[in-house]
Amino acid sequence: MSVQIPFRPKDPAAGAARSGGPLGSVDRAARALLAPTRSGSSPLAVAVVTVLTVAAALGITAGLVAIVGGAPGEVFSSMLDGSVGTPGAFSQTLLEATPLLLVAVGSCVSSRAGVFNIGQEGQMLIGASVGAYVGLRTQGPPAVVLTLTLVCSALGGALWAAIPAVMRYRRGVDVVVSTLLMIFIAEQLVSFVVSKPWLLQETRVSGQIVAPQSNALAPSFRLPTLGDYPGLTISLGAFLAVGLAIVVAVLLARSRWGFRLRMLGHNPLAARHAGVREATFGGLALALSGAFSGLAGGVVLTGEVYRLQPGMSDNYGWDGLLVALVARDNPIAAVPTALVFGALRSGGGVLASTGVPAYLIDITQALLVFAFVLPPALLALWRSTADRRPPPPGRHLHLRPGRRVRGRRVTGGHGGRGTHGANGAYRAYGECGARGAGRGERGDRREGQRR
Amino acid sequence: MTQPPRPPRSAAPAIELRGITKRYGRVVACDGVDLAVRRGEIHGLLGENGAGKSTLMKVLSGLVRPDSGVILRDGVPVDVADPHVAAGIGVAMVHQHFSLVGALTVWENVVLGEGREGRDRCDGGLAPAGGQGAHKGWLAGARGRHGQGRGRLRRDEACADVVRVGERYGITVDPLARVDSLSAGQRQRVEIIKCLRRDPDVIVLDEPTSVLSLAESRDLFAVLRRAVTGDGAARDGAVTGDGDLPAKAVVLISHKLAEILGATDRVTVLRRGRVVTRRATADTDAATLAREMVGREVSLGEEAAALGLTPPILSTGAARDGAAVLEVAGVTVGAPSGVPLLESFTLGLRAGEIVGLYGVEGNGQSALGDVLAGLVVPDRGEVRVAGEAVDLRRPGALHAAGVGVIPEDRHRSGVVLDMSVADNLVMTDLGPVSGRLLVSRRRQLRHAAELAERFAISCPSLDAPLRTLSGGNQQRVVLARELAGSPAVLVAAQPTRGLDVGAIEGMYGELRAAAARGVAVLLVSTELEEVMALSHRIAVISAGRVVGELDPAEADAERLGLLVGGAVGDHAATASALVSGRASTVQAGATGDGR
Repeated sequence: MSVQIPFRPKDPAAGAARSGGPLGSVDRAARALLAPTRSGSSPLAVAVVTVLTVAAALGITAGLVAIVGGAPGEVFSSMLDGSVGTPGAFSQTLLEATPLLLVAVGSCVSSRAGVFNIGQEGQMLIGASVGAYVGLRTQGPPAVVLTLTLVCSALGGALWAAIPAVMRYRRGVDVVVSTLLMIFIAEQLVSFVVSKPWLLQETRVSGQIVAPQSNALAPSFRLPTLGDYPGLTISLGAFLAVGLAIVVAVLLARSRWGFRLRMLGHNPLAARHAGVREATFGGLALALSGAFSGLAGGVVLTGEVYRLQPGMSDNYGWDGLLVALVARDNPIAAVPTALVFGALRSGGGVLASTGVPAYLIDITQALLVFAFVLPPALLALWRSTADRRPPPPGRHLHLRPGRRVRGRRVTGGHGGRGTHGANGAYRAYGECGARGAGRGERGDRREGQRR
Repeated sequence: MTQPPRPPRSAAPAIELRGITKRYGRVVACDGVDLAVRRGEIHGLLGENGAGKSTLMKVLSGLVRPDSGVILRDGVPVDVADPHVAAGIGVAMVHQHFSLVGALTVWENVVLGEGREGRDRCDGGLAPAGGQGAHKGWLAGARGRHGQGRGRLRRDEACADVVRVGERYGITVDPLARVDSLSAGQRQRVEIIKCLRRDPDVIVLDEPTSVLSLAESRDLFAVLRRAVTGDGAARDGAVTGDGDLPAKAVVLISHKLAEILGATDRVTVLRRGRVVTRRATADTDAATLAREMVGREVSLGEEAAALGLTPPILSTGAARDGAAVLEVAGVTVGAPSGVPLLESFTLGLRAGEIVGLYGVEGNGQSALGDVLAGLVVPDRGEVRVAGEAVDLRRPGALHAAGVGVIPEDRHRSGVVLDMSVADNLVMTDLGPVSGRLLVSRRRQLRHAAELAERFAISCPSLDAPLRTLSGGNQQRVVLARELAGSPAVLVAAQPTRGLDVGAIEGMYGELRAAAARGVAVLLVSTELEEVMALSHRIAVISAGRVVGELDPAEADAERLGLLVGGAVGDHAATASALVSGRASTVQAGATGDGR
């Protein structure tokens, strides 16, 4: 159990890139970005385009696999094997999907209120730390301690998210920026906590090096599972997550609270006129989102890792955010989406055995997110260009004064686009490399952990 | 006026649109519209909201590509692919909403967006006028216009140009003033100078008088007249260096009959995207135009206000007795710039009366609407409903106290476009349709269906997003919701803006009915005719305070116009100075909201 895990703080730039939000982006920009996903085109048109974009995403993935020298078919089947092929693999998928779903449900709550929380990674870590403290320092009946651990995890995450909420509604600090930056504080806090013996550092055993991690939770304080290892095992956390997703979905759609929250997210001024206190509702939504992330941290702690480690959030926060994005802020839709992303994560673990770099999974994930988020925006774009399309030719001549200007403009446009394309491709390639390094490192850690 | 325009009127009109058709989805905005505008005329384009006027002009100015049709400039077909092309062929547009940058000065705004082409043209086209009046210094400071680097702004020349164009047409604006500090009327002058400086042949003005007082509107029409007759001489008789300018053509878009009748030479009437008629203005009258515009016989008594005509006084100013239901007492709302939007605003409303609050746009009406909708907490003062002071810091407190609000900009604070019609109908008052935790869908739909029927809201389904409804129906949703809770007070801010005549009549009927039921109605409006048609009492707002109160029987356009201008009482000069300062800050605030 005492495997050494080299701790390195995650590359912040990579994290930001994954979230889709550059560091300087503001709440409003994020909302504007998401706006096209909410309204406009007919569901059928969106569905058709989504099928096309998903197909395109898979096609590009296959192409990339071929480029790096793999066989797309082989990679695909090994990923299937690694994620859903065997009961064991599927268990792993469920294990990965659970925290993703919890984080995603929390994100749904905050984005419905128009607050774009992207600090889930940090909120998870804080939640896990508080949970670990309670789980390691409390004695009592297992059910009570376990419940207390999870509740305190959620509380920890909520309090951590409440700090940006207070900053937002007292001082107008942008939520996107503050939640993002608080991730780094959370990471440093956790590494501090697990490196001080008087806090949570693991007990010194003579002859062994002390690692920056906490002791393991007592087996009875861990989340119970249904089923045994070679067969299908389902952690209690999975039921918890699905249950909460349903509860939140019902509350959002049917309750007075959900009604006001949606009103606030769509039109804060109309909501204020209708008596909704923005600070209370928005702050609560952000804290709730943090609570779900904290709970996700607690579930990872009690159901997967069993001890506090600085890297334990393992991008669940970012990936969960993407799940919410793909599920378009619908907690029910987040359930299957989380499963797909969980499968990608668990399937990605076995990808290395095929000789294909594991970071391809990241690219696939990103492409899938694009494939799901893009269609409404594409349709809107298509509509607006249709509006500006010139009238059908033939009826009359287009000429004279406008001609020269137009010709120049068009040529200029082409040149510009070409350059942009080249630059974009170059940049994207560079980022892949950086991310790949990160993924490999993480893969190592996970393998060690499972041994 | 005596000299013939140059070049002489040729057979071909200055600008001609032939068979312009533009569809938005299933809606046909313009359906084979023909329009010809000759040099030397002010051409009125009349039609209700949604008749296709704006779309047509967007086609002309290159903002929208038509589905079919052709534009001819002096008889030559041109492809107006984008606004730059439109500018290149000498078409300039003054939009309904100003496109000025508040933080920049007048001259900066005037040169903004001009290509080098435009600058050269101006430099060469207009010879310097004699330095007259207060701006002489700027002219004297004008340096040679050559030998400076490309892309460098030549401030002095630009300032001189602003003064020159201003003097030519009799519109004076200080080129060094910040646009922020100008009144709405002055801002429009800047827009017009910006437009005229490029020496366009065709000027399009979209609903230019909506932000102007009566006097300012008259000035504007005088300027336009000078532009089309080619009479470049300034009002004070200054003689310009290069004689007369070539005659221009002006297109004046309006939905107000009185304006069209008073200011135009010829008129084209649009209805539902089609040309109904085109004729010389002198050959027609209000009744005919009204019939053509609306498509049915219109009684100029009841509906005149909706068409922009001053109606006969219908509601006698039988002032109601009794205690005030709504009292706004000494409300002051500050602005970031420090000049208050509302200053000690005081007004009382009694049950069953309609009080019209009339004023030129941007004099504090928006701030008042925001205060009464609970969106803004005033710095000082209080609002009492039925004698009880309301805690304005608590969201929704005013609504709970019985103040219903139809906001000026319903999309901003009145409705949630992406929520359903049923949701929008219940959103201010969830109590009757919900239990402690959950909203009862059954009760909500029943309640919504009742309201939809009572207020004749036509929608595809109660679950359809509000976005899918027409403007008139959206407004009815707001009205239905705000009246559903049987309020004691109804604040209707510009309630008919953007509605067609039928919807406007409906709104008038509802307001009158509400007053008859004993609701105190505050009608905030910039439309003189509307205020005069509906009000039992007229209050005039200027620079954030009530400057006068009149009985409609004794109110006429002139008196109201004077009050609006702030020229009342002992401090007429101060008042008008205040008007300009205050008005601009409101404007700045409004644009800052990202509308």
